[in-house]
Amino acid sequence: MNGTSGKKIHDKDTMTAEERLEAVVRLEQPDRVPLSMMLYYYNPFHTGQRMSEYMAKPEVYRESSRKVYEDLGPWDIYYNINPVSRLLYSYAMMMRYLYPGIELPDNVMAQVEEIEYMKPEDYDTILQQGYTFNDVRFRMRMLPRFCKDAEGVSLALLWPTLARDFIRQKLFWKKDLAWCQEEGIVMQIGMQAEMPFDLFSMARTVVPFSLDLFQRPDKIRRAALRLAPSFAEFMIWVARLMGVPRVQCYCHRTSNSFISPRQFEELVFPSLEEIVCRIIDAGMTPILHCDGDWLKNFKVLRRLPPKKIILQLDGLTDIYEAKALIGDHMCLFGDVSAEKLALGSPQEVDETCHRLIEEVGKEGGFILAGGCEIPYNAKPENLKAMTRSVYKYGYYEMKSPVAAEIPVPTPT
Amino acid sequence: MEDLKRFRELFLSFQVDAVGPEVDACLARGTTPKAFLACCQKCMEEIGEKFDAGQYYLPELVVAGEMFKGVSERIKPLLEATDATSRGILVLGTPQGDIHNLGKDIFGVLAEADGLTVHDLGVDVPPTAFLEKLETTGASILGMSALVTAAFDPMQEVIRLLEEKGLRDMVRVILGGGVTTSEMADRLGADAQTQDAYEGLKIVRTFTTTGE
Repeated sequence: MNGTSGKKIHDKDTMTAEERLEAVVRLEQPDRVPLSMMLYYYNPFHTGQRMSEYMAKPEVYRESSRKVYEDLGPWDIYYNINPVSRLLYSYAMMMRYLYPGIELPDNVMAQVEEIEYMKPEDYDTILQQGYTFNDVRFRMRMLPRFCKDAEGVSLALLWPTLARDFIRQKLFWKKDLAWCQEEGIVMQIGMQAEMPFDLFSMARTVVPFSLDLFQRPDKIRRAALRLAPSFAEFMIWVARLMGVPRVQCYCHRTSNSFISPRQFEELVFPSLEEIVCRIIDAGMTPILHCDGDWLKNFKVLRRLPPKKIILQLDGLTDIYEAKALIGDHMCLFGDVSAEKLALGSPQEVDETCHRLIEEVGKEGGFILAGGCEIPYNAKPENLKAMTRSVYKYGYYEMKSPVAAEIPVPTPT
Repeated sequence: MEDLKRFRELFLSFQVDAVGPEVDACLARGTTPKAFLACCQKCMEEIGEKFDAGQYYLPELVVAGEMFKGVSERIKPLLEATDATSRGILVLGTPQGDIHNLGKDIFGVLAEADGLTVHDLGVDVPPTAFLEKLETTGASILGMSALVTAAFDPMQEVIRLLEEKGLRDMVRVILGGGVTTSEMADRLGADAQTQDAYEGLKIVRTFTTTGE
């Protein structure tokens, strides 16, 4: 579905980026470790564009991200996070975003303002409705309660506005996809969204949701399960439309940094399993974006189908322990810390990447990336060191120090 | 103490809705506010220890914090001035560029339950505001919490201002939040770092007991 042009991004590569990505998802050993740079807020600081323009104008985003790729690339996986509208982004992530140039100063990152927009009775509404389009209807009901661009907008107007933005996103990504194919790289995501349990946690906010976990845990479990089929089907439909067979599922509040392993197993896992299995059955790869510390959840997570899933870590799970506990079951994605990229030296980044490649990348099943998104204040020389590392140390048949002399290629 | 037995049971079993009425009933029966405060602090300590041991998770800490806040609000107006002894003064906030407050809020409640006087400046706090509050309150502890790297520069600026004003030796600085690391705390010149609110409390206890 997202076939590249067959072009290889480095002379020494024997696989295309697409083949490399597919191999690591199957936990096979590819020709070298693939690299994903999850760059978003970094780009305009690198290229000197104003953040407000970058966020509001897709063409500015495109220009900026291409320039960063020229300066710091090449990498295998392009992080196509950019939304063409805040409304669309809010629909997917279900958080209130404050934007630069609108609610925030002109040249700062967007921020999430956590507000309680979901009430306890909304669990009941979900449970009273059937499965069909339940997730879509729930999101549409909630949007005017928290999204700055939907406040006071009637549902009758919201539907066509959102449909228009979906079409704009499709057209934008179509060009992205063509560019990726020309470059021989792959797009990371065909669709992304906040998972139902995590959505409830965000929408209720931490204190009320913590109380819910004591007072109505079964409603949380059943409501998440009720949304799961329609959530998965919509994600699959959009990913097909976008032409990228990967779906990024955000689990911001499911880790053991928030809830217990027992709560994970009883309240989260049923809906998570339903969603993940549907995505896999549709021939797609679920990418579980796992914020926080997940180590104690891995035992249960192993019940998911093997060699089909990418597990994205954000620096708070020990990725070396993750390799031992679940590395034979899921492809690991990560995990150069934001702190290291912002404050460390290129030498430190090089050492971190080298160790990740050697240990987590051992025998495949690994994608080198930052822990969550690359910070906006990362040093460009550190990102260069990160890119360079996969060409220095990442070839499976050819380890350092000989490989250390390989120059970093520039995209052709 | 018999009067507080049921209150204690309710608190430790997270019976949120029952705790408030029980406070009122106990007060009506003559339980002193000071006894309540001591009991609450003990309960919070027990819950904190279970969190530390991995038996409890964030929801337990959060709900316990909410119960503590509720009880505090009820009994604070009744406390005699001599009852309210403080173990130290803490200034707390999320630095400029970051509006996340979860970890900071939990840490603040735990610190208050532990007997510290907490001045929470909120989120997106400019460096100079931290300095002003430290100076006006005479606080000896500063906690800064962050979830995004945008807060790194303001954190560094606060520490630089402390040095510039000759206050650095009098104020212990602890950094918290998901994006912080011990390496980063060393780089910025902070005294301690944690990603865990309860661990943060234990560190602050060492500040107040040893002065280190």
